Amino acid sequence: MNSIARIACILCLLAMSQAAPAAELPTGVMRVDGTPAPALQLNNLDGEPYDIADTRGHWRFVHFWASWCGPCRREMPTIQKMLPLLGETGLEIVLVNTAETEDEVFTFLAAVAPDLVPLLDSDGLATDVWQPRGLPATYLVDPQGRIQYQALGGRSWDQPAYLDFLRQLRPAATATPADSR
Amino acid sequence: MSLLAILLPGALPWTSAAAVERAFQGPYIENDDLLVVLVPRSPEQMAAFYEARGFPRAAIDRIRQTCFVTVHIKNKSRDIIWLDIDQWHFTGNGKPLTRLDDSYWRDQWNDIDLRQASRSTFGWTQLPPVRDLQPDEPVGGNLVFPGDTNTLTIEAKFPAGADRQGEPISIGFGSIHCSKGADNP
Repeated sequence: MNSIARIACILCLLAMSQAAPAAELPTGVMRVDGTPAPALQLNNLDGEPYDIADTRGHWRFVHFWASWCGPCRREMPTIQKMLPLLGETGLEIVLVNTAETEDEVFTFLAAVAPDLVPLLDSDGLATDVWQPRGLPATYLVDPQGRIQYQALGGRSWDQPAYLDFLRQLRPAATATPADSR
Repeated sequence: MSLLAILLPGALPWTSAAAVERAFQGPYIENDDLLVVLVPRSPEQMAAFYEARGFPRAAIDRIRQTCFVTVHIKNKSRDIIWLDIDQWHFTGNGKPLTRLDDSYWRDQWNDIDLRQASRSTFGWTQLPPVRDLQPDEPVGGNLVFPGDTNTLTIEAKFPAGADRQGEPISIGFGSIHCSKGADNP
């Protein structure tokens, strides 16, 4: 009986291990090397200051975009739709507009994503420091301030594969302040 | 996979012209590894684009004197493919041609003291010189050539593999016409 129970247990463990495959990344999301995220201190469209270091302890979705960029224009509505679908994850959404004026940003977002309040990188220099591979670019910064994932080009963030991926990013129980200043 | 294809605008060996007109604005090459689309732009198109982004007259004048071709690339393979423009060869009017790269534009913008925001926007609209394209990764941007270029050919070599040691992919576009626009025929 004992041996039967042991075999059953082993089979059960085998089945469980197959039912829980290694987490698969959604298309176009790449794991990166955990390098510390650069500083990001900008004012938002409402003129309020923002510092990414103040949000440590949460995962950050840091997204660089410009309204003239076709893939950005297609992607932004999916970010707007993503927010209510995500639910309470603690994920901090940080949108950084690259080198456009307040009027350009306001006009574009009012039409496609009225709930989003981006940061304004008015001269484009903050974007340069992050060295995105292009626009749009999305980084996922962990609660300790390290870049763990990068999305390649525009992605449909409101689709289940991306929502499931973002939902499994959990806030740190105790964050280590590692964000750059 | 190695592929050398010379594609004339309007002559589309792998699909119907109607399908391409529906899908893309210009000549393209698609195989199992890559999709590459070229869209020649007129001076009016480029002037309108940058004027709408607040570029000053002096910058627009310099942009109008050149030939812009917008390039869209997507890595369709399961391996890294390198965009490395130094591996591309251009000819214009039958002679070797040098594109107008970052250093050319830096000099232009320094001459007219272009503000930083416009320099940044212009930079992000250019095709990056080097990129290790990951599977499913797209990249896009402009290549710019001297304004006296009439007919342009592009032979593009894409090294493959993380260490660039895979078999390179070669493609070619022939007879790309630099549009001179209504005010500069």
